[in-house]
Amino acid sequence: MPSASDPSSTTTIRRPTVTVARAGRVVLLVVLVAAVVSFPSLAPNPYILSAGILVLNYALLSTSWNFVGGFTGYISLGHGALAGLGAYGTGLLVTRAGLPSFLALGVAALVVAALAVPIGYAALRVRGASFVIVSIALVLVLLLVFQSWASFTGGSRGLTVPRPFPDLLRPEHHRVFWFLFAGLLALALLVWWLIDRSRFGLGLKAIREDEDKAESLGIPTFAYKLVVFVVSAGFTAAAGGLYALWFGDLDPVFQFSILTGSYLVLMALLGGVRTLFGPLLGALVVGTALEYFKVEYGGTPLHLVATGLLLALVVLFMPDGVLPAVAAMLDRFRPAQQSIREVTAAELREQRESGVRAETELAATRPGTPSTRERA
Amino acid sequence: MTDQALRTEGLTKAFGGVVALDGAGVAFRHGQVNALIGPNGSGKTTFFNCVTGMIRADSGRTVYRGRDITRATPHAVAHAGIGRTFQLCRVFPRMSALDNVLAAVRPGGVLGRLRGARGRAEVDRARGWLTRLGIEHLVDVEARNMSWGQQKLLELAGVLMSDPETVLLDEPAGGVNPALLDRIGGLVRELNAEGRTFVIVEHNMDLVMSISDHIVVFDRGRPIAEGPPSVIRSDERVLGAYLGV
Repeated sequence: MPSASDPSSTTTIRRPTVTVARAGRVVLLVVLVAAVVSFPSLAPNPYILSAGILVLNYALLSTSWNFVGGFTGYISLGHGALAGLGAYGTGLLVTRAGLPSFLALGVAALVVAALAVPIGYAALRVRGASFVIVSIALVLVLLLVFQSWASFTGGSRGLTVPRPFPDLLRPEHHRVFWFLFAGLLALALLVWWLIDRSRFGLGLKAIREDEDKAESLGIPTFAYKLVVFVVSAGFTAAAGGLYALWFGDLDPVFQFSILTGSYLVLMALLGGVRTLFGPLLGALVVGTALEYFKVEYGGTPLHLVATGLLLALVVLFMPDGVLPAVAAMLDRFRPAQQSIREVTAAELREQRESGVRAETELAATRPGTPSTRERA
Repeated sequence: MTDQALRTEGLTKAFGGVVALDGAGVAFRHGQVNALIGPNGSGKTTFFNCVTGMIRADSGRTVYRGRDITRATPHAVAHAGIGRTFQLCRVFPRMSALDNVLAAVRPGGVLGRLRGARGRAEVDRARGWLTRLGIEHLVDVEARNMSWGQQKLLELAGVLMSDPETVLLDEPAGGVNPALLDRIGGLVRELNAEGRTFVIVEHNMDLVMSISDHIVVFDRGRPIAEGPPSVIRSDERVLGAYLGV
């Protein structure tokens, strides 16, 4: 039977690089936290701070999307609708039911997570392109509902959500919400990381690689997909609800938009869907670019052209995203892969030479040999 | 009854007008190396797919160790104790060999699933299987970067990690070199001696005849003969349908 009494050479050789990588990650994390904490004080004006919140919102949405997209490989374009449901749910619970703002947000996120069970039950039965189309249908159906049901949702005129902190001035308001968004993002990242290293996460990744094979190995694939879809929907809805409380004004056309869903996919793909911080990095790049283009060329659809081009470039040249591409580049500077027991001709020669050298040195210290050397 | 591992009754499956399984009733023996042979298109792989729940039979029944698994989902069949490999070897291409094998671990309960995937005991067991199959040096290599033969061994390591009582192998010798063939044949016998039942679909007659205890011959979606290698080798219907003499 299998035994692993001999600790294999690979682990012992690998350890130093792993420690270096871990240290690098810790440093990166500290820098990231420092940047998040100091940004509100560094932002030169409230507009920049509010643009920062938008980017953070995108990062949160994209990370939430990545629970499904990254782990299982199911590409949903419908996550904009889940955020919209969270936003409207929060808004309606505040305005119609009179719940306190943040209680409303929590309840809305739970309700959307519960709704995600039947939605996922229907949508996750189909794979690939069919799943993408079902997810688009979700957006279109909800847009029609929220536009037409004017007596309840406010229809096309939208819904005004009262601010949770009416006494705060605008810059202070932004500042508080910056940290609320950052906190929720940290929570989403933590949960993603925990799943990533768990057996559950390994099962999800197996589904991404080959669903039938995963099933035949005993992984209950449908239940796994459904659970992670519900987690994803809960975070997405919470992000939508937080947006509603911050922005205070909901328009169904923007809340239930395929474009929003597409942005999330682009951001995650750009950064790298298999990595924890990929969607965050993607949101930083794409979100900032979107804001810039809207400010500079507001009236034109130029921002759409730019994002389309970016998507094409990413898919063509960095199909795994920026982070994996960078990691692969750094890998080249590392000593060659030790996991494959292959030695180059040069290494062989060196080994042999050092062996010979060791032998002659040994011979030099051996008693009796000096005489032979002297004779020579 | 007790010496039966896997039994089917009247298993039928048609794809459009093509009848792949035509009322197949087969019994494989527990604790033995069983082989399922037959010409291409005789329904062997469809049989595997129906038995493991990957496709649903139109009619008929599948019983494993006295338990009806006709309508069980593939993961439930796996949990019942049946592991399988695929004709066109299937591994998780963008996962390391270690993760490929670890994916077969069956966590218990919600808490078990939330635990780290690389627990010491599991990693040791996974490495053990990789070592036994001779691919331990590839532990950190992604499956897509391996050769065909290495992938076949990796697939087998994953299936064995899930500790199946019965292993269905779909053409284990397909596309592998003679040395590897010997290794796979020897491994099957070894694992059988350790108590695992095998059902092997294979075209390589030398391998089938040398490792099987019991052979079932399929033709046109149903068994036409069964028995030990010595009997099958001289059965006239088999010679006519399969060996073409």
